[in-house]
Amino acid sequence: MEMKLDPRTKLFMVLIVSTIVMMSATTPLLWAVRILITLIPLVLLVAEKKYSSALKFFLLYVTALVVNFVVLVNSDGGIVVSLLTGYCGIVVQFMPSVITAWYFIRTTKTDEFISAMQKMHVPDGLTISLAVVMRFFPTIAEEYRHINDAMKMRGIVLGGGNVVKMVEFRMIPLLFSCVNIGDELSAAAVTRGLGGTVKRSSVVDLRLTVKDIFMMALFLSAAILFIAVKYIR
Amino acid sequence: MNEDIINIDHVSFCYKGASKGLLNDVSLKIRKGETVLLCGASGSGKTTIIRLVNGLIPHYYSGDLQGDVTVAGRDIRNTELYDLAGVVGTVFQNPRSQFFSIDTDGEIVFGPENIGLPPEEIKKRFADVKDEMQLQELLGRSIFGLSGGEKQRIACASVSALLPEVMLLDEPSSNLDIKAMNDLSNAVARWKGQGKTVIISEHRLWYVAPLVDRVIYMENGRIAHEWTGEEFRSLGKQKIKELKLRPVEFDPNETADTADASVSEDAVVIRDMYFSYNEKPHVIRRRKFSDYDEKDLDLNIPELRLPKGKVIAVVGHNGTGKSTFFRGVCGLLKRCTGTITADGKVYKGKERLRLCYMVMQDVNHQLFTDSVENEVLLSMEEEDKGRCEEILDSLGILEFKDKHPMALSGGQKQRVAVASAIASGAKLLLFDEPTSGLDYSHMEKVGSLLRKLADSGHTILVSTHDPELIAESCDYILKIEDGKVESLTRK
Repeated sequence: MEMKLDPRTKLFMVLIVSTIVMMSATTPLLWAVRILITLIPLVLLVAEKKYSSALKFFLLYVTALVVNFVVLVNSDGGIVVSLLTGYCGIVVQFMPSVITAWYFIRTTKTDEFISAMQKMHVPDGLTISLAVVMRFFPTIAEEYRHINDAMKMRGIVLGGGNVVKMVEFRMIPLLFSCVNIGDELSAAAVTRGLGGTVKRSSVVDLRLTVKDIFMMALFLSAAILFIAVKYIR
Repeated sequence: MNEDIINIDHVSFCYKGASKGLLNDVSLKIRKGETVLLCGASGSGKTTIIRLVNGLIPHYYSGDLQGDVTVAGRDIRNTELYDLAGVVGTVFQNPRSQFFSIDTDGEIVFGPENIGLPPEEIKKRFADVKDEMQLQELLGRSIFGLSGGEKQRIACASVSALLPEVMLLDEPSSNLDIKAMNDLSNAVARWKGQGKTVIISEHRLWYVAPLVDRVIYMENGRIAHEWTGEEFRSLGKQKIKELKLRPVEFDPNETADTADASVSEDAVVIRDMYFSYNEKPHVIRRRKFSDYDEKDLDLNIPELRLPKGKVIAVVGHNGTGKSTFFRGVCGLLKRCTGTITADGKVYKGKERLRLCYMVMQDVNHQLFTDSVENEVLLSMEEEDKGRCEEILDSLGILEFKDKHPMALSGGQKQRVAVASAIASGAKLLLFDEPTSGLDYSHMEKVGSLLRKLADSGHTILVSTHDPELIAESCDYILKIEDGKVESLTRK
């Protein structure tokens, strides 16, 4: 099934889900809404063929839910139980926004993102910084992997038992290489006309379709329902 | 055809904060449609000239600029960078840091979108570039999944899409294998055929030498020699060597296989090394790699005998499993099986980390401390300052003992990494493309370093695309293809 949403819709979903996770669900109805808005981005991930991340998120979320509702409700005290409660509580509470953000980042191309931001009249300076950040995540991961390899060869993965060293050894080479890459990246981008005074054009023709409007309406009503039940009644 | 498109008039330049000027009173005129090669040692001012023409100097890299630069009738000093984008295009050295988008299609249209061309025009240019450079199989891919050569093809395409009159290439082949260099050579030939002005700054000369109309030899920030393409190609091997340049002709015979080497004497033996990035699903017990089909394995080496105390070149195309092989040997790949036997001792799993040490292509990744001395001491099981000085002295970097590793030059950093490898007691040293982007004299230095290490009893594996390095410093050639050993030959 083809299910390509507009980046603006995805951003809206991120916004709504982040709002909802900040409010605790107190009634079964609210729990249902919460679970629904978590399942939708999961289904969308599957529709975009990101099977493995969808499955991992799904398993993690379901496990946390089950532990939270079935196992922990009927048990009493104990250090393991309280640790589990805390851990699962965090997963259940914040996982929805992690999933939605992941969905947004993994399925939006730089180009689409920039034109979506332009259509919303966001200033170029902000748009481009955000686009670079999105572009930079995989680079940081790649660099980090190299550094980790180097640390394994030196036998200093644990920093010789010193936590400060452990962080320092990772961060210093990482910062050096990210600064270098960032510098070269912007030099390459400005020679190709980034930052000009002419209005940037785009080959991506973004249009909100019925799917987008339906999705936005669904998420908006979820948020309204949440607020209504919790604060107005 | 004979008008000058680029005029560099008595230019001197000194980067901000640098004490020594990088260019001293350089004058250079380049005619429209000319293909010019800039050569010379690192730091001789080649890159500075490229940056003058594309306007990165003075607009991005600031410093003290004297003299005038005119490109296609525009005074560079008074022209904004984005106004130059449609006039001058640049392909840079490092494929990993010149991409703005995360997908190939987006990257090609990035430039035209920036200068605000109408979408129909951009689509037309996209289609043209795609046909012209035969990019079909690269479209719609993630930038992070491309090999170095593929990245450089996309970089050329994305610059082409802006239809600039002047093409600049700043050491574009540094990370490329021989096949990818031929692709690059085709791109240059195509631009030349279209009447574009092309300037290439390069150390590896054989792939562009047949195409150039003029060659500029830089030395200490000045133009020291100038030849026509014809003259340059007939200089002769001896003269090229005296100029400290890499060969102008690629001689495949120098690296040709002579005889299959059977290593019976003292050997470092790798056995049963298997690995796959795509593991088969499992529930409780992992499937053994030996049950896998051959085509599913990314590393498949039942037995490999490496001659001890020799320098072994590891060759193979980009993306054919050389770095997987290296990571596997070092014990850096989590589920990679296999043992290494050296001096009668068998190293398994993580123990391999104690036997092996890899000097990475980007050595910045493996320097962690605030001084060269500490860097070496960190590798020792028990700190021994005497031995540390000995090691540093043998590598010729004792004078930098108290310096910050990041303040050293590339070659010196590499030596620091080697010093910490020796200090860790590693017997099998792996070098991942140690000479990429190096000029001839630096390459010679790396070559003699490898020799020296081998003579002191280390076994050296060095992955490389440089036929010159193989010809001068390696004893054996190990060919890797699709994660398998294709051949091990004596040179």
